[in-house]
Amino acid sequence: MIGSLLALLVAVPLVAAGVLMMTGHRPRLHATVLLTILIGSTGSSALLVYAFADGGAVAHGVGSWPFGIAIPFAADMFAALMLTVTGLLAVTCVVFAIASRKASARFFAPLMLVLLAGVNGVLLTADLFNLFVFIEVMLLPSYGLFVLAAQGKAALRQIAGARLYVTLNLLTSTIFLAGVGFIYGTAGTVNLAELAAAAKADDTVAIAVLVCLFALGIKASIVPVHGWLARTYPATSPAITALFSGLHTKVAIYAIYRIYAVVFDGDTRWLWIGVLIFSATMIIGVFGAVGAGTTRSILAFHMVSQIGYILLGVALFTEAGLTAGIFYLLHHMIVKASLFLSTGAIEVRYGTGTIGQLSGIAKREPVIAVAFFIAALSLAGLPPFSGFVAKLSLIIASVDAGQIAAAVVMLLVSLITLLSMLKIWSGVFWGKDEVADGGQLGTAPVLTATREKTQRVGALLAAPAVLLAAITVGFGLGAELLLSLSQTAAAGLADPTAYIEAVINS
Amino acid sequence: MTVAITAGVLVAGAVYLFLKREMLRVILGFVLLGHAGNMILMAAGGTSRRAEPFGTPEEPATVADPLPQAFVLTAIVIAFSITIFMLVLSATGTENDDTTDGANDPANGPTDSADGTSQPRPARHGARTEEHP
Amino acid sequence: MPLLLAAVLLGVAVGFAPGTTAEQYLPWMPTLDVGFALRLDGLSLLFSLLVLVIGAGVLAYSARYLGTSGNHGSFYLLMTAFAAAMLLLVLADNLVVLFVAWEATTLCSFFLIARSGPKAREPAIRTLLVTAAGGLSLLAALAVIVVGTGTTGLSEALASPIWQESAGFSIAVAALLAGAAFTKSAQFPFQSWLPDSMVAITPVSAYLHAAAMVKAGIYLLLRFSPVLAGETVWMVLLISAGLTTALFGAIAALRRTDLKELLAYSTMSQLGLLVAMIGIGTPAALTTAVVHTVAHALFKSALFMLIGVIDKRAGTRDIRELAGLRLRMPVTATVLGLAAASMAGIPLLLGFVSKELMFAAFLETPGPGWVPVLVTALGAATAVLTFAYSGRIVLGAFSGRNGNTVREASAPFYSVPALGAIAGLAPGIAPFVLDGLVSDAASATAGEAVQAELVLWHGLNPALAISAVVLSVGTMLVLARRRVDTVLAPVRFPFSGLAIVDALRSVVVRFGATVGELAGSRAPRYHLAVPMICVSAIALIAVFTVDSLPPIVGSPAEPLDWTLVALVLVGVVAAVRAQTRIAAIVVIGVVGFAMTLWYFVLGAADVALTQLLVEILTVCVMVLLLRRLPARFGKQPLRNRIPAGIIAIGAGLATAAGVWALTGRREMSEAASFFVREGETATGGSNIVNTILVDFRAMDTLGELTVLGVAGIAVAALLHSRHPTAVRSAHLDRGTPLADARANSVFVRTTTRLLGPVIVALSLLLLLRGHYEPGGGFIAALIGGAGFTLLYLAAPTDSAARVRWPYLTLIGAGIVISAGTGYLGYLEGSFLTPLHVEILGIKLTSALLFDIGVYSSVIGIVLAAFNLLGRRHRILHDDDQPPASKEVSYR
Repeated sequence: MIGSLLALLVAVPLVAAGVLMMTGHRPRLHATVLLTILIGSTGSSALLVYAFADGGAVAHGVGSWPFGIAIPFAADMFAALMLTVTGLLAVTCVVFAIASRKASARFFAPLMLVLLAGVNGVLLTADLFNLFVFIEVMLLPSYGLFVLAAQGKAALRQIAGARLYVTLNLLTSTIFLAGVGFIYGTAGTVNLAELAAAAKADDTVAIAVLVCLFALGIKASIVPVHGWLARTYPATSPAITALFSGLHTKVAIYAIYRIYAVVFDGDTRWLWIGVLIFSATMIIGVFGAVGAGTTRSILAFHMVSQIGYILLGVALFTEAGLTAGIFYLLHHMIVKASLFLSTGAIEVRYGTGTIGQLSGIAKREPVIAVAFFIAALSLAGLPPFSGFVAKLSLIIASVDAGQIAAAVVMLLVSLITLLSMLKIWSGVFWGKDEVADGGQLGTAPVLTATREKTQRVGALLAAPAVLLAAITVGFGLGAELLLSLSQTAAAGLADPTAYIEAVINS
Repeated sequence: MTVAITAGVLVAGAVYLFLKREMLRVILGFVLLGHAGNMILMAAGGTSRRAEPFGTPEEPATVADPLPQAFVLTAIVIAFSITIFMLVLSATGTENDDTTDGANDPANGPTDSADGTSQPRPARHGARTEEHP
Repeated sequence: MPLLLAAVLLGVAVGFAPGTTAEQYLPWMPTLDVGFALRLDGLSLLFSLLVLVIGAGVLAYSARYLGTSGNHGSFYLLMTAFAAAMLLLVLADNLVVLFVAWEATTLCSFFLIARSGPKAREPAIRTLLVTAAGGLSLLAALAVIVVGTGTTGLSEALASPIWQESAGFSIAVAALLAGAAFTKSAQFPFQSWLPDSMVAITPVSAYLHAAAMVKAGIYLLLRFSPVLAGETVWMVLLISAGLTTALFGAIAALRRTDLKELLAYSTMSQLGLLVAMIGIGTPAALTTAVVHTVAHALFKSALFMLIGVIDKRAGTRDIRELAGLRLRMPVTATVLGLAAASMAGIPLLLGFVSKELMFAAFLETPGPGWVPVLVTALGAATAVLTFAYSGRIVLGAFSGRNGNTVREASAPFYSVPALGAIAGLAPGIAPFVLDGLVSDAASATAGEAVQAELVLWHGLNPALAISAVVLSVGTMLVLARRRVDTVLAPVRFPFSGLAIVDALRSVVVRFGATVGELAGSRAPRYHLAVPMICVSAIALIAVFTVDSLPPIVGSPAEPLDWTLVALVLVGVVAAVRAQTRIAAIVVIGVVGFAMTLWYFVLGAADVALTQLLVEILTVCVMVLLLRRLPARFGKQPLRNRIPAGIIAIGAGLATAAGVWALTGRREMSEAASFFVREGETATGGSNIVNTILVDFRAMDTLGELTVLGVAGIAVAALLHSRHPTAVRSAHLDRGTPLADARANSVFVRTTTRLLGPVIVALSLLLLLRGHYEPGGGFIAALIGGAGFTLLYLAAPTDSAARVRWPYLTLIGAGIVISAGTGYLGYLEGSFLTPLHVEILGIKLTSALLFDIGVYSSVIGIVLAAFNLLGRRHRILHDDDQPPASKEVSYR
């Protein structure tokens, strides 16, 4: 019963998007419908989390066709957790978009709804070609959202960023499609359950799946294909950056975890490649961050680094490692979005994110400053925030799995992460109060110029960042909740029998 | 063999084209890449069987695999949509479709905040006249 | 209010009674096997008392120091938080809780330093970075211990046998813990943050840098002594670093003119001695360490506070300026003298007791013969210097004879430090009062029962002799202090710890900038090249790892295929070499037709039709855009083309190899067999590919049409957000027939009028028969779209071409219809299950409805593309004024 209802998580937003497209430009209606559906999706996903509290999985072939023919939609704890957190992020980012007056653009709501349908589809499907289709369903509205601006006001930078974003994603999708083709050519099926352990048994299937995993890795922005993230994310509007940060790379990571767990059955022969690549990702990402000059570039490079951490969880493939990786994934989605939202709020109000042009914000915006600082410390892994629990569990898991070098890398990278966060903190939030000091800096910062005219960050604009920062505190002190859920999810990956059986019997 | 060569040729041409500067060439490169992807899918179904899949055939062993055909159809349509979007992107830059335009703009310059502080560059007047060959 | 807090702290302290051991446990993160465990033993008790009592004192002192003006709420909050963190640290019986408390102290100290003013920000950041690095070292140690001992509980871990069994384990933990403690307690080579952080206000220094934070490192070392004490690495690290710091700190202290800085270096030096004592590790040494901890905490915090008093009253704490003032502060002077004397090790004070014990312990250092001698010599040297700078403090403050007179401070101000100093006097005279407390603490750290007997007079022994020597030499140094100053003045250390930290920071930042640059610019070129290189790499890996391939099934190639291969090859080469945009587009169209032929040959009729139509429409859209772009392509330099060529060839080879190796080597798949055999009976449709699209895998198609529709929306969004570039227009000779648009298009318009209805009919026919014959929603809609294209081509001007249909609504309707059809499927139990119904003898399925949705969506995007792109936005000639931009209206 639940299984057949899973498709609604895709169908309802789609229909709503279609309806909104037909209703014309009505911002209030659009916003209401959008938020209602987002909250509904998040709520039902939370119910799913509750349903899977003891493990297990549910699946259903869409259209009730037999196994192997139908496209299965399957959910277990991991999928349910991802659905809930992505839903939560979508809600907060939409609230931010409404507050920054981005959401009143005519096409915003339908595009957001289709994006949500796409995300839900990617997380629920157990068919690789369907995964490709839903990734496209996610990407097209993203392209639209990327270039959305006030009439005629999109900057050239936004167009250039969009060009890079679209071409790179198209390349990635085509590589993924080729991979699916190769998988069908070698294994004769694109159904995940039918592919179970196929890559472990057959090397040709392994190569084919490797192509798919590589494509997902590009989407997740690992080294050496990480450059696009650092160049595109700062080029669009802050609300969209925050939204994308929690969605695109993360569903790719989800897919990597799922495919490796089911199709490779956790094959330990290839894990060392993962450890190597992801350690490099951690290092290069954090160095790029510490050298960047604008808040969003720093945060974008950080994403690369943190993605290295998260994927290390699957490269360890012990139950402890998987638990740590999943916990880190969920924590990171929340914290990263919070950081983008708080720096985004500043960018929206003060017009720039360049560190050299802002200073002394902490005094004017204490709430945002606190939210930023909490999230920054959480990202750097200081207690008592969720980032600390994430780092701790990951380090213990790697030492336990014998990957001492990786653990050392993690520690060093933490320190440099802290350094780069301090760079933002001291550059943007601290710094002299120019007007009071009579302005002795070389170039007059934007802040001074618009000081009298700029309003402060309002409650609605600040609320999303604050909410997410509060959640990171909650997940730090009360980490047990999320840890046990992650552990259940990890168990489902380490031993995917329940998932596979569910799909077979759907 | 033949399908493999076709796919390889298409990919080579595609990559060469999309490493060019002009957006139109990049788009054409991706069109070729799409063809290559479709070739791979068709090959996956086994190109030794080529009868049209219609009705209930007497000799199922010679019928072409219909599943990759459905895949390819979907892929063609999806690629078409993205191509259209890319084409519009190529025409909304500066007065040509050079992909290095705006490539070195510092990120986080003045953003298009709600009060519209950013000024895009409008199309310049005095466009050169061109004769279409 | 602060007095209230002080009282609270004292009250808690009273609650701790010596000789007790208590435990408390709360579950925190069972998944990680981490619980919130607290344990009180002798060592914890001692430190807790220190933290609480001195904390109370400092808070009371702060009330006076800060005065009642100003908003100091955050200060008190942070100080109390800090005290709580320290308490948690010493009471923690779980490694993770210990770490959390450790980092909490780091954070609190960061804030406490930073709030002292804008000049304090850089020092605060430096301190944070250094202590955070130490924290990470502790985390590493923690991880190793947890994995090695299998538990996160502190006492359980200490009791584990692995410490004796595995040398590597012990060494690793020893080194990491030492690193952590050294950063926290400002030992070499991490010592520079301590003087740096003197910018903080005096109460902060008195608490954090005398009694609490820096003692955290000492506590850590003491806590792990039971298991690490005999370890060589441990001993060597601690003793050498400790003594180096001790000596270095003492020399530096002697050169300072700022009294607070002097105290900072003094603290560093004293901590060095403590670390060395812990390093020695014998029960006697550990006992000494405990005693000296108490002594140091008392006299150092008193000294800081008194310097604060002097600073407030005299307005300066620089010796050179104080020399120009006349301090008449009898009580302060006496108390200062007492505290300094304790530090110098003068008899009848606690400092003397601990110094004696220290010499005794140094003399018994385990190791080859020269070790105790060296250690004692260095220790003695440090003690001499300590005496000297203690004198420097007292004399530096009070030796001024001329200048303004500074009166005594008020009693409440000096009372707390006075108490502290006197507290050093009483146990100095009668040390045995501390026996119980010290014994418990020493037992806890030595891991065996220790009975400390503290007496003032140990009899004539080497320790006493050393003390005597120290006192005399020290006195001589004090008397000859001017000479000493001139000797020391030119001594410069070749490097500065701060400079190193800053240098490291800037190196990291600059390296980071380089790494960032390597990620490429925003131009797609680089970012598209790297994945293709990786693809070639994957192919190479495959070649080396895959041993055997299954044999090829059947004969995948037919002779006819080669013509098509040749056609594609020619097309691709031509496309690559095309110099003008129109030529490139035409050639791509040719390649597209070649692909159509390929699909026909491979038995995919529907696909071929779709490809053909899509190709036509794509070319039409491209031509629409050609008007806004230059005619010729630019020329790329050879150095760009060669790498591109290499990457291209590599990728092409990889793809060809992949297709050859990974396809065509298996029998028909199960799904394919099912579709071919059962497809018609299961769905009633004979066009199997179409049944897959709309029945079996309808979810794919739903996604596909959504993508299509949303592309239309995205195009609309893009053109709303940014106006397209101007249309270029050729100057035509107005006389030729080509120039008149209406006359020009006569043929096309007539053809359209004839073909129009045919196209519409064909489109509808294909829609309806799609389930049974080649056709289907997409093909039908694309033909319909082709019809609209014809209308556009036939129209004389852009504005006349506009088809006034609401394309956005069409797209939306398409999605709603198709998805809605899916909902109908729930009547049969699942989303998108097809329904069959018979009306008037005609079999209808819901798949048709689905196809109609597809149809609507595709028409929508085709219209969107042509309307929005074909719109007359701007046409510019050389001599035109740019017109005002028009408002765009949407439907």
